[in-house]
Amino acid sequence: MNSLTETKRRPTDWQGAEMQKRIAGRYAAERRFKAMGMAAIALSASFLAFLLVVMVGNGFLGFTQTELPVEIDFPAVTGGASPSQFQGPNAEANLQVMGLREIVDSSIEIQYGPEGTDLFSSGAWTAVSAKILADPDIVEQKSTVNLPVVSDLDVAYKDEGNPEAEAKVSELSGQFSTGFNWNFLSNSDATDPMQVGIWGAFKGSLITMIVTLMLAFPVGVLAALYLEEYAPKNRLTDLIEVSINNLAAVPSIIFGLLGLAVFLNFFGMPRSGALVGGLTLALMTMPVIVISGRNAVKSVPPSIREAALGIGASPLQVVFHHVLPLALPGILTGTIIGMARALGETAPLLMIGMRAFIATPPSGITDPATVLPVQIFLWSDEVDRGFVEKTSAAIIVLLLFLLIMNALAIYLRNRFETRW
Amino acid sequence: MHDDQKTLEPNESVHMTDSATTGVNTEGGPPKMTARHVDVFYGDKQAINDVSIDVNMDSVTAFIGPSGCGKSTFLRCMNRMNDTIPIARVTGDITLEGEDIYAPKMDVVQLRARVGMVFQKPNPFPKSIYDNIAYGPRIHGLATGKEELDEIVESSLQRAGLWGEVKDRLQDSGTALSGGQQQRLCIARAIAVDPEVILMDEPCSALDPIATAKIEELIHELRGKYAIVIVTHNMQQAARVSQKTAFFHLGTLVEYGETTDIFTNPREEKTRDYITGRYG
Amino acid sequence: MTGATLLFLIIGLGLVAWFFGRLKAAGMQSGGKHSRSALHSLPNYHGWYVALWAILPAAIFLAVWSFASPALITDAALTSPAAAQLPQDAFARAAILSEARAIASGNQVNAFNPLSQSMVEPYRDAIAYYQMIGAVAALLMVFACGVYAWLQIKPDLRARTKIERVTMLVLLLASLIAIVTTVGIFLSLVFETARFFSMVSPIDFLFGTEWNPKAVAGPRGETGFGAIPLFWGTVFIGAIIAMIVAIPLGLMSAIYLTQYAPAKFRSWMKPILEVLAGVPTVVYGYFAALTVAPALRDFAVSIGISNASSESALAAGAVMGIMIIPFVSSMADDSIAAVPSAMRDGSLAMGATQSETIKKVLIPAALPGVVGGVLLAVSRAIGETMIVVMAAGLAANMTANPFSSVTTVTTQIVQLLTGDQEFDSPKTLAAFALGLVLFIVTLLLNLIALRVVKKYREAYE
Repeated sequence: MNSLTETKRRPTDWQGAEMQKRIAGRYAAERRFKAMGMAAIALSASFLAFLLVVMVGNGFLGFTQTELPVEIDFPAVTGGASPSQFQGPNAEANLQVMGLREIVDSSIEIQYGPEGTDLFSSGAWTAVSAKILADPDIVEQKSTVNLPVVSDLDVAYKDEGNPEAEAKVSELSGQFSTGFNWNFLSNSDATDPMQVGIWGAFKGSLITMIVTLMLAFPVGVLAALYLEEYAPKNRLTDLIEVSINNLAAVPSIIFGLLGLAVFLNFFGMPRSGALVGGLTLALMTMPVIVISGRNAVKSVPPSIREAALGIGASPLQVVFHHVLPLALPGILTGTIIGMARALGETAPLLMIGMRAFIATPPSGITDPATVLPVQIFLWSDEVDRGFVEKTSAAIIVLLLFLLIMNALAIYLRNRFETRW
Repeated sequence: MHDDQKTLEPNESVHMTDSATTGVNTEGGPPKMTARHVDVFYGDKQAINDVSIDVNMDSVTAFIGPSGCGKSTFLRCMNRMNDTIPIARVTGDITLEGEDIYAPKMDVVQLRARVGMVFQKPNPFPKSIYDNIAYGPRIHGLATGKEELDEIVESSLQRAGLWGEVKDRLQDSGTALSGGQQQRLCIARAIAVDPEVILMDEPCSALDPIATAKIEELIHELRGKYAIVIVTHNMQQAARVSQKTAFFHLGTLVEYGETTDIFTNPREEKTRDYITGRYG
Repeated sequence: MTGATLLFLIIGLGLVAWFFGRLKAAGMQSGGKHSRSALHSLPNYHGWYVALWAILPAAIFLAVWSFASPALITDAALTSPAAAQLPQDAFARAAILSEARAIASGNQVNAFNPLSQSMVEPYRDAIAYYQMIGAVAALLMVFACGVYAWLQIKPDLRARTKIERVTMLVLLLASLIAIVTTVGIFLSLVFETARFFSMVSPIDFLFGTEWNPKAVAGPRGETGFGAIPLFWGTVFIGAIIAMIVAIPLGLMSAIYLTQYAPAKFRSWMKPILEVLAGVPTVVYGYFAALTVAPALRDFAVSIGISNASSESALAAGAVMGIMIIPFVSSMADDSIAAVPSAMRDGSLAMGATQSETIKKVLIPAALPGVVGGVLLAVSRAIGETMIVVMAAGLAANMTANPFSSVTTVTTQIVQLLTGDQEFDSPKTLAAFALGLVLFIVTLLLNLIALRVVKKYREAYE
């Protein structure tokens, strides 16, 4: 049946020059393709490296402050205050009464001339205050304190600032020193970049995350258990599944709109509060927890359920005594990943007013608050150049927390993951 | 992978001592493919132990043996498909027309074009029937134009006995064919590259008896044009389609000889036990 | 008494109820320790039974009460003499009342309108009065229901079954929250959008080409709400520029990692690439605005594009593409891994090189999965907010010049809803209309993508 066409075919000359050339070409294409793949990975990884290097490079300086030495003759200016005044509960009030601010200003003027106070950050005196509170004995002597300079000088000294500041820096060169900016960790938002800190935003993030966790975790876990263990196969269950999968992919800003329309305008909850922020983020995080929770529950082998049912446990006891404990590491891993996402979320919180200027840290869930990513966004909008390094420094802090959370998730997964 | 210490001239094997436990061909023309002292390791585990065998142009060679005996592993060494498994390691010599296929200068791409393979489960590409057949000729540049390609596709399908069934629907997807047709499509696909040897790894194990019969008939037709090696765990099939049979057990070659001899008068007790169904 | 204290009190009483219920049931446990108990359920379950009876009805009552009482409070406050001075205009009246209520409940400190100040006292009284009624009624319910349940405890009471039924109901309610949220999103968007469309014609909104909401003055016949430039900007950044970056890089990374890379390299590189997806978007936004955008502008100027903007579509799109890389790569990874290895072997066995196998067999076979993944990536990119807010700019340009500034749907939502807000102005309502469009588009993209991916998975199973 095949004799017709068979004869037409001549045997392939694999060693022929033409074939060899062709094969060489094909191998070249192979190498090119492989190189392209490698280049894609290298490029992607170098983007990441570049991003991190830029952020760390900029942000590192944000943790430091430029200082100038100021000599304060405490016995002379305070009129002989004794160290005991600055101990105990009244210490701060006594500093206030003493007029520490004016004392510091006058000491500065003595040393740097009448315009001298312009060189220093408006919060310079608080550094002196902290120093006295830490060691009251210094008020009995003449001592030299390094005080933070004004933001323009700080920028000019660290990098490149405006011409006037640069001129000032070269004039005073040699006197500058660099100190760790503790204010950055303990202060809240401020208008002066030398005085800003992330504590307020950090506390806001913390409270918001607690609200989110308290709401999203129980609801997510219960929903995952219901869907995986008990849900009958019907229209309602399908609808729930579709909703969850869909919610997981809804843009985060839509959740912000929901929070604005429902929580703020319909229920009249307090604006800018961690409560509304936490609620909104909880709705966003819940689908993530449900999906990872279902996978964790699914991976518990049926034999365990059968064993428990076999000794007369009720379906609920099976789940709460056996399935849930075994699935918990997986659920926790998913929860941490979901929370990490919520921690980095910005857009929905802008919608519900968590972008306010918060100079005092929130103390409750209804106080106006802001969170780290929003603080980063707000600082990135500031024109003052001093904010650039602060923004990057805040980013470092945020990335550090995300890194810790993800490392925890990976640790949990590796430590408790059971292969059935 | 290539173990120089074990290199032997292919024809040296003629003088080997016991031809019952080696598959060395002692008569007829030069063998198409030879294997000498082949060992295969998966990591630390040895899957093939010192196998030597010859494959001839004019006969169908069947590898039989219980599952896990290494017959498929050995088959995959013959066109270096084991290269795709990172932990697999092959030592010894396998030659194709006297060329060591594991030599550094041997080109795997060419080797596989010359030693085609048909797999256990039919694996047509998710392309049209035409494109399935034309795939090999295209990548190897075997056709100079559309017309020549058409010819190759037609002749390959004819040789595989599929032309009559598919000539009116060459643009249909290859995956839309029945299991038996898919397997013949895969054979046609292998033929289209004009190989010298075709390796078949249990080509009928996923097929029904009627489709199996067609494949076996096809193997008969192809005999003599290609050197064919078929792995099967179906002894009747080996008896029906092959002229030479090799019996593998636990990674070693127990016996190799004329199919009629193996099935009627095996030399080794293990072979007899297997043939008579005492284990397997 | 505040709501929180009341709630804690009720929960505390519930614990007491649990204790008594358990005590009574334990007393009924006849026989010695080792004989089979006469009780149907363990004493614990009886305790929970009583506790739930004590807590749940009261909690439900309080929830209903907190919805019903504001209306009652307002009615009561309006009967006070101060209410006689209120203006007759319903709108002004409502504004004053809501301000007074906010002050009375402590959400606001100072009155903007002096009339509100006068209403604060009546409000405060009414709130205290109705709160007291609610608290007393709730506590009475705790006692009544708790005692009722306690009296019900008998050896054959199926307490465990009843508890389990309640627990099951709680589980069901937890899963229903997903539906409630979805419906909530949809309804709130639709509701506000409908109000917007009562002021601005949907045709003008969807097909208009001029976007300039600041220019709007009058309450009717507004112009400047043509969203086409926004849609274009969104597509240009999210679906075009970002994908031009993300698809080749993501796809080639996935191919290299799955087909070529040694296992060790892969196990290191995959998580590293995934870090790209874990970086918060605000960081990308800052990176785009601070580093990428100025660099691109300088580059554009150096090649002679004079009108290059410092907020360019290219900067936002490229950075967004980088963010999407791991997304595309993991979807492609899954799709390629789902192609049966028989197909790869089939191609290799014919003498195809690895790249020929990938290009001609694996990719075509995995294409539906890859396309599904790309659709999901697009849906993610167009919903992304912070990068575009920080790097893309606000100018509603209809341009295909990647170096110029364009604006997107999400940027405008943020822009419209931050700053001074009047909730009824078309400006704020427009944000919800944009949100609805975004929601529907991402929803459709997701549904299509999931269906494509699912179909594809089934084909190889």
